[in-house]
Amino acid sequence: MKRSKLLWGVLGGAAVVAAIGTLLVGGLSENVVYFLTPSELVARGTEAVDQPLRLGGQVKPGSVVWDAEELDLIFAVQDSVGEIGVRYTGAQPAMFREGIGVVIEGSMQGNGVFEATNLMVKHSNEYKAPHGDSIPGTMYESIIRPEVEE
Amino acid sequence: MRGRLRWMLPLAAVPFLGLLMFGLARNPDFFPTPLIGEPAPSWHLETLEGDSLSLAELRGKVVVLNFWASWCVPCRAEHGVLLETARTYPVDEVQVVGIVYDDSRRNAQRFLDQLGNTWLHVVDPGIRTAIDHGVHGVPETFFVDRGGAIGAKHIGPLTWDVVQANVDSLLASPPVTAPVP
Amino acid sequence: MNSLIGSAAVTAAWLGSGVLAVLGLVAGYRRSPELLRGAKYTATFVFAAMAVALATMEWALLTHDFSVEYVANVGSLETPPYYTAISLWSSLEGSILFWAFILAAYTALVVFVQRRSTSRLLPYALGVLGIVGLFFYGLVATVASPFGVVSPAPLNGPGPNPLLQNHPLMGLHPPLLYLGYVGMAVPFAFGIAALLSGKVDEEWIRTTRRWTVTPWAFLSLGIIAGAWWSYEVLGWGGYWAWDPVENASFLPWLTATAFLHSVMVQERRGMLKTWNLTLVIGTFLLTLFGTFLTRSGVLDSVHAFTEGFIGPLFLAFIAFVTLTSLTLIAWRADRLHSPGSLDGVISRESSFILNNLIFAAFTFTVLLGTTFPLVIEAINGDRVSVGPPYFNMVSIPLGLLLLFLMGVGPALPWRRTTGERLKRSFVRPVVVGLVVATASLALGVRSPYPIITFAFAGFVMTTIVDEFRKGISARRRISGVGFFRGFGQILTRNNRRYGGYTVHAGIVVIIVALAVSGTWRFEREATLRAGEHMVLGDYTVQFDSLWAFEEPHRVVVNSAFTASRAGRLLGTIEPRMNFYSQQPNEPIATPAVRSFIDADLYLTLMAFDQQNASHATVRVIVNPGVPWLWIGGMIIAIGAILSVAPQRHRTPAVSVFAGRATEVPKTDENSGVDAERDLEPAGATSS
Repeated sequence: MKRSKLLWGVLGGAAVVAAIGTLLVGGLSENVVYFLTPSELVARGTEAVDQPLRLGGQVKPGSVVWDAEELDLIFAVQDSVGEIGVRYTGAQPAMFREGIGVVIEGSMQGNGVFEATNLMVKHSNEYKAPHGDSIPGTMYESIIRPEVEE
Repeated sequence: MRGRLRWMLPLAAVPFLGLLMFGLARNPDFFPTPLIGEPAPSWHLETLEGDSLSLAELRGKVVVLNFWASWCVPCRAEHGVLLETARTYPVDEVQVVGIVYDDSRRNAQRFLDQLGNTWLHVVDPGIRTAIDHGVHGVPETFFVDRGGAIGAKHIGPLTWDVVQANVDSLLASPPVTAPVP
Repeated sequence: MNSLIGSAAVTAAWLGSGVLAVLGLVAGYRRSPELLRGAKYTATFVFAAMAVALATMEWALLTHDFSVEYVANVGSLETPPYYTAISLWSSLEGSILFWAFILAAYTALVVFVQRRSTSRLLPYALGVLGIVGLFFYGLVATVASPFGVVSPAPLNGPGPNPLLQNHPLMGLHPPLLYLGYVGMAVPFAFGIAALLSGKVDEEWIRTTRRWTVTPWAFLSLGIIAGAWWSYEVLGWGGYWAWDPVENASFLPWLTATAFLHSVMVQERRGMLKTWNLTLVIGTFLLTLFGTFLTRSGVLDSVHAFTEGFIGPLFLAFIAFVTLTSLTLIAWRADRLHSPGSLDGVISRESSFILNNLIFAAFTFTVLLGTTFPLVIEAINGDRVSVGPPYFNMVSIPLGLLLLFLMGVGPALPWRRTTGERLKRSFVRPVVVGLVVATASLALGVRSPYPIITFAFAGFVMTTIVDEFRKGISARRRISGVGFFRGFGQILTRNNRRYGGYTVHAGIVVIIVALAVSGTWRFEREATLRAGEHMVLGDYTVQFDSLWAFEEPHRVVVNSAFTASRAGRLLGTIEPRMNFYSQQPNEPIATPAVRSFIDADLYLTLMAFDQQNASHATVRVIVNPGVPWLWIGGMIIAIGAILSVAPQRHRTPAVSVFAGRATEVPKTDENSGVDAERDLEPAGATSS
C-alpha cells in the first residue's frame, strides 16, 4: 500500500518534471532573441528573415527620413562594415539623432528592410552625466512659460 | 545521501559559479565606438584663458582629448595621470586637451588651480562637442592620431597603462586617415 | 569630519562583526553563556556603529558635505530635500551601506527578541550573522566605502541619477526590497545554526517563522512597489518586463514562498528536513545573487551599473556561502532523515509538496531564462536575450497551477481524507468556479488563459471565504458571540492562519489583475495639434496645450490633455517630460495616470514641437485591471501583518505571571470545525 503511494508520488513528480521540461525547452528555443550587428545580420542573409532580433549599431548620418504626422521613421543602421535599412512606426525617442547608437527590436522582412517594433537609444549608465547651468533650459527656451507651476 | 557520494554535493554548485565568473569576465559593452577609425569631429572652441583653439591646429600631433568637469569625482582621480602624460611626452608630439563638460569656467579654473594644470583646456558651451563625440558622461577620453582620426576611446578614469598603450601605439603607427588639407 | 566619523563607524562595525562571528560560533560550540552574552553585546555594538554610520551619511547628504565622496557623487544643491535624503540608495556605495545597516538592525533585533532564549541555536545564528556582516561591513569599510574624502571638496555635485529622483515611490521601493532581501539572512542563519549544532529538528523552523514571514512580506511589497514605480516612471504602460533585475527579486520570493509552505509540513509531520534547509539557503543565496546582478553588470539590464571590485568579491562570497552550506548539509546528512512519510495521496501535505515542486520548477525556469544568455555566450559567443514571451509562456501555466493549489491545499486535512470530506469542502468552490467560467464565456471572453484564471480565482476565493465562515461559525458556537465579534476573534486568536488566507486573497486579486491587464490592454499613439482629439474605446483624448517651465534641478515640459470617458468629462490630464541637467538629452517621462475602479487611463508624452509647442505626440494606453494590482498588494500587506502579529490568547485568570503568559497551552479554537488547529505550538515563536 505504502509502496504504491510512493510510486504515485514519483510518477506524479516525474510527470510534472517532464511537462515543465518540455515547456522549457520549447520556450527557450523559440524565444531566444539574437543580438546582432548590422554586418552580422547582412551575413545571415535570408536565414534571418522573420526571426525576432535585436539589432545594435549606429544611426547612419544622412539616412533619417521622418514623417511626424504619420509617425513614420526610416533610417539606416550601420557598423564599420555593413548597414541595414530600418523602418519604425511610432514616436522618435527623444534622444534619437544621426550618429547615435541604437538598439532596435524587430525582425527582418523579406524585402530586406528591418521592421522595428521597439527603438531604444543606447546610453551608458556607467558614469554620472553632467550637471550645471541649465542646459535643458536653453534647449527649450522658446516654449518656456515664465511662471513656475506646480 | 549517506554514502561518500554526499561529499560530492557541493560540486553541484560549481558549474553555476563558473558561469557567473564567466559573466564577470565578459565585456558588457556590446558597442564598439562607431567613431573609431573615423575622423574626429572637428571643433573650434575657446580656451579657459580666452584664446581660441581648434582640433585642426593640432594636426600632426597625437591628441589626448579628455572630457572632464570639476563636479566629477573620478576626474579628480585621473588628474594625476594626465599630469604624468603631459610631463612624459614632448608637447610637439602629444598634446593633451581638456574639454570642460557642463561646468562653469570659475569652477573649472578653481579645480585646476587646486590640482595642477600643464595643458590646454577648452570650454564647450551646450556640450555640443561632447554630443558630437557621443560622450555619455565624464570622464571620457579620446585618443586622436596625427591625421585627426580617432584611434581609441576610454570610458571612465584613465590609468597610466591605458594612456601609455594608446599614445605609444598612435605615435608608432602612421595616421589612420590621410591628413585633409 | 563626516568622512572620519563614518569611516571609523563602519570600520568599528567590521571589526565588531569579526568578534561577533568568533564569539557566536565558539559560544555555540562550547555552550558558553558568558561568550553568548559577549556576542549579544557585540551585536548591539555593531548595530550602534552602523546606526552612527548611516546617520552620518544622511547628515552629510542633507548638509551637502561634498567632501564626502558619496555626497560628491550623488548630491547636488538643486536636488529637493526628499530626493537628497533617499539618494542614500541611489548609487552603489550608499545602497551597500544601507544594506549593511539593515543587516546590523536585524541582528540586533534577533538579540533583543531572543534575549531570554536559552536555545543552542542562538549563538551559532549570531555567529553566522557575524560572518555575513563581516563581508558586508567589510565592503562598506573598504572597496565600496562611501566615506572617502574628496579634497579639496567640490562646490556642487551632479545629483542622483534622474530616473531615481523622478518619483516619490523611489523612497519606498528600494527600502522594502532591502528589508526583504536582508531579512532572509536571519532564517538562513538559524538554518545554518541547526546544521552546525546538529540540532536539525523543528526548533529552527519554529524560531524563524516570523523572521521569514516578515522579510517575505517586505519582499512582496518591494516587488509590487517596484512594479508600481516602473509603471509610473518608465512610460511604456507596463509594470513587469522580466528584466534580469526584476527576476532577481522574484527568484528569492519564489523560494521563500515555497519555504513558508514547506516548513508547515516539517512542523506537522517532520518531513522535508533537507528540503527546507535547501530552500532557506537557496533563498539567501538568491538575495545575494540579486544584489550581485544589480551591482556587477553580469547581465545586461536597465538597472545594472558596473563597478570593478564589487563583482568578484560578491561572487567569492556567493561561492563561499554555497560551498560551505552544501558541505554542512552533506556533513549532517545522516541526521536529516524524516521520521514521517506521506500517508495519503490527497492530503494537506501532499498538496504542499506539489506546491513546492511547482515553486521549485518556477524558480528554475526563471533562473534558467535569466542566465541563459550567459550560457549561450559562454558556449558560442553569441549575444542573445530571452524575452518576455518565454517567461510568460512558462510562468502562466505554473502560476495557474499554484493558483489552483491555493484553493485546494488549505481545505484539505492533514494525513488523509475521505470522499465525503472532499465533497463537503469542494462542491461549492467548484460550482462557483464553473459559474465564473460560464459567465466569462457568456460575456465574450474567448482566450483560454483568462477563463481558466477567473474560474480558478472564483474557486480559490470561495474556499477562502468558506474557511473564514467555518472559523467564524465555530467561534460563534463556542463563545456565543455575534458575526463580527467572531470575525474579530478568529483574526486575533488564530491570526497566523487567517492572515495567511488574507495573503492568499491578495494574491488572487493580483493574479486576476494580471490576467485582465494582460488580455485587455490596448494603446494608440498619435501626433495631435492643439484642439485635435483621438478616440480609444470609450475614451476621448484631446490635446490642449503644451508648455515648459524651469525648476532648480530640471526643466519640465508639461502637456495638457482633456479626456472624457463615454461622454463624461474627466478633466485635464498632464503627462510630462522632465529634463534633468544631468542628462539633458535623455528626458524622463512622467506619464499621467487616471485610475478608475476597473482600469487606468495612461498618457505618456512621447514627443513635442520644440519650437512653438503646436503639436504633441502622445501614447494613450487603456490598462484594465492595473489598479487592482496595488490593491492586491495592500491586501497582502494586511494579511502579512496579521500573520506575524503577536497571538492573542484567551488568558485564564490563573496564569498571569509576568512574561509567562505565552507558555499557557493554547486552547483549540477550531476543534469543532476541523481536526485542524493552528500549527504553532504554544509559545514557540511568541518569544
